[in-house]
Amino acid sequence: MAHVELKSVTKTYPNGAVAVNDLNLEIATGEFLCVLGPSGCGKSSTLRMIAGLEEISHGQILIDGQNVVGKPARERDIAMVFENYALYPHLNVFNNVAMPLVARRTDKQEINDRVTRIAEMLDITEHLEKRPGKLSGGQRQRVSLARAMIRRPAMFLMDEPLGHLEEYLRIELRREIRALHESTGGTTCYITHDQQEAAAVSDRIAVMSAGELQQVGTMHDLINKPVNRFVAEFVGETPISILEDVSFADGRLTIGDYAIGLNEQAAAACAATPPATVGIRPADFVLGDADATGLSAVAESVQPMGETAIVLCKTACGPATVLLDQVDLPSEGESVRLAVDPDNLHLFGPDGLNIMYQGS
Amino acid sequence: MSAATLSDTGAVHRFRFGDYARYLGAAVFVGFCLFPFYMIVSTSVKPESDIFSFPPSWVFDITFENYHSALFVFGGSGVLPFLINSIIITAASTVLAVGLGSMAAYGLTRFKVVAGDHLFFFILSTRFAPPVAFIVPLYLMMQRFGLLDTHFALVAIYTSMNLSLVVWVIRGFFEAIPIEIEEAAQIDGYSRWQIFTKVALPLVKPGLITTSILSAILAWNEFLIATVITQSSSATLPVYLSSFSGSMGLEWGPYMAVGVMGVLPIMIFTLVLQRHLVRGLTFGAVR
Ligand SMILES: Nc1ncnc2c1ncn2[C@@H]1O[C@H](COP(=O)(O)OP(=O)(O)O)[C@@H](O)[C@H]1O
Ligand SMILES: [Mg+2]
Repeated sequence: MAHVELKSVTKTYPNGAVAVNDLNLEIATGEFLCVLGPSGCGKSSTLRMIAGLEEISHGQILIDGQNVVGKPARERDIAMVFENYALYPHLNVFNNVAMPLVARRTDKQEINDRVTRIAEMLDITEHLEKRPGKLSGGQRQRVSLARAMIRRPAMFLMDEPLGHLEEYLRIELRREIRALHESTGGTTCYITHDQQEAAAVSDRIAVMSAGELQQVGTMHDLINKPVNRFVAEFVGETPISILEDVSFADGRLTIGDYAIGLNEQAAAACAATPPATVGIRPADFVLGDADATGLSAVAESVQPMGETAIVLCKTACGPATVLLDQVDLPSEGESVRLAVDPDNLHLFGPDGLNIMYQGS
Repeated sequence: MSAATLSDTGAVHRFRFGDYARYLGAAVFVGFCLFPFYMIVSTSVKPESDIFSFPPSWVFDITFENYHSALFVFGGSGVLPFLINSIIITAASTVLAVGLGSMAAYGLTRFKVVAGDHLFFFILSTRFAPPVAFIVPLYLMMQRFGLLDTHFALVAIYTSMNLSLVVWVIRGFFEAIPIEIEEAAQIDGYSRWQIFTKVALPLVKPGLITTSILSAILAWNEFLIATVITQSSSATLPVYLSSFSGSMGLEWGPYMAVGVMGVLPIMIFTLVLQRHLVRGLTFGAVR
C-alpha cells in the first residue's frame, strides 16, 4: 500500500522529445487511478518513471513520502503488467508466476503455496506446467497478473494490460482486475487509451494530452465538468459539439439564430469575458420541429444504435451531433431546431480552449 | 521451372528428365566431395597389404590395428597427447570466447556505450587481415612473454579470434529479446547480472550453440598459428599430423587413423550441440 506523488515531473528523451512536461499528480493509498489519453501523450513514460525503468529528467517522485528518484526498479516494491505480457518464454507458467518470490529468495514451501493460491484465483491452475508460448493472449495476461499479484507489492502499475486482447476478454478481465484491486487493496496506476475501460476500472481518471496533465477526476466530472476543450472533446462516447458564432448581450447568449436566457452566474461570467464557442453534449440537445425555438439545423444523417440514435446535423454554427431516443426521429434532410437547457452549456473563453463557465 | 515443388501458381510440377539430370549432377558432386573422406576412413581400417593395391581393393578385412598403432605408437608417442592438447585448447578457447563474447554483446545491446556502434565495427575489423599477417608479431610477443609452446598462448589467440564472431552473432540474438521481458525481470527483483544469466542467456541459447560450434571448429582445425607457436608439448592435432607429411616411408594406415580421430571429436561435439538447437524457442510470451 503506497501513496504516490509526482512533483513537476518532466521527461525529455535523448533525442529531444519531451514526453512528459511538468506533471503533478497524486495517487492516494489504495486508489485505482487511470491515466487516460491518446497514443503518444506520455502515459507509458509516466508509468515507467514511477516504476524506475526510465530516468526522470526533472522533478520528484515520492512513494510514501520518500523520493525514489535514482532508486532501481527492484527496490521500489512495485509490480508491473505489460501490454505484451512480457512473460519469460523459457520458463513454465509456475516459474513465471513464482519469479518475484524466487528473486527475493522466498522459502520453497511458501512459493508453492502462494503460486497455487494465486493460480486458483486467476483460473490458470491447469496451465501451470505449460510454457507461455502455448497459451492464448487472455491466458497470458492472467499469468502476468498472477505474477504481479503474487508478492502483494505496495503498488501495481499496468500499461494497457488489455490492449492486445479481444473485446469480450477485455470486458471480462477488466471486471476481474477491478475485483482483484478491491481484494488486495493495493494502490494501482492503470494506463489505457480506452475511456470505457477507464470508467469501468478506476476510482479517478487523469487525462493527459501531449505530455501534459489536463484534468483529474471521476468519469462523471470529466463528462460534466471538463476543464478545457481537449477533455471535452476527448472524453465522452459520442463527441461533444462545439458551436461557433456565439455572442452575449443583455443576459442572453446567442448561438447563430438561437438566443438562450442565462442564469445570473453565467451572465456575470459572460459579461466579464465574452465566450468564443460553446460545447454541448449530444444527449443535452432537445430536438424540436422547424417552428420551435432553437438553433436551426438540417438533419443530415440518422444512425440508429439500438435503443438510441445519433443524428448528425448541419447548422450555421458548425456540425452538431445529437443523441436521441429511438422515438420521433427526424428523417434525413429534414429541417429541425436544436434547443438546450442553459445549465448544460459548456462555454469556452476567448481562446476557445479553456472553459470559462459551465452549469452544474 | 520444373522442380517438384509448389510454383507460384500453387500447382505441383511433374518430375521431368531435367530433374533427373540435376540430381545425377548433384550426386556426382557429393561423391567428389566425400571421396577423400571415404579414402581416409577406408584406409584407416585396411590391412597394410591392401592399402597400395591397384586397383584399390573395395573388399578387404577390416582391422583396427592402425588405430592401436596411431594411439600409442605412431610418431613415437602416438596421437593421444596431441589429441588431449587439442581438446583442452579448443574447449578452453570456445568457453572463453562464447562467455566473454556474449557479455560484450549484451553490454553493447543493452547499455549506452560511448561510440558503441564504432566499437562494434572495430570488433569485427580485427578479423579483416589474414591471420598470416599476424604470425610474426604473435610469435615475437609469445616469445617475449615466455609463452611459446604453451596451451595458454593458443587459448588466448583463438579466444581473441573467435570473440568477434561471437559478439557479432549474439548481439543480433540479444536485440531480438523484447526489452519488456528484461524490464519485467528488473521489477521482479533481479539484478543486472541475474537478468543476464537467468533471463537473457537462456533466451539466446540457439545463438550460444551456433557460435560455440563455429568457434570450436576454428580452434580445432587451426594450423597456421599453432604450427608456429607450438612445437611439442602444446602441439595440437593438425601440427602433429603435418609433421609426417613429406617424410619417407610414411605408414599410411596409422596416419589415416589419426585423421579419423581428428574428425570424430568435433563431429560428435557438433552433433550433440545441434540436438539442443531447438528451433521455435522464440519469444512466445510476446504476441
Ligand atoms: N525511448 C524513447 N526515445 C525517444 N522518444 C520516445 C521514447 N519513448 C517514447 N518516446 C516519445 O515520447 C512520447 C510519449 O510516448 P509514450 O510515453 O510511450 O506515450 P503513450 O504511452 O501515451 O502512447 C511519444 O511522442 C514518443 O514518441
Ligand atoms: Mg504506451
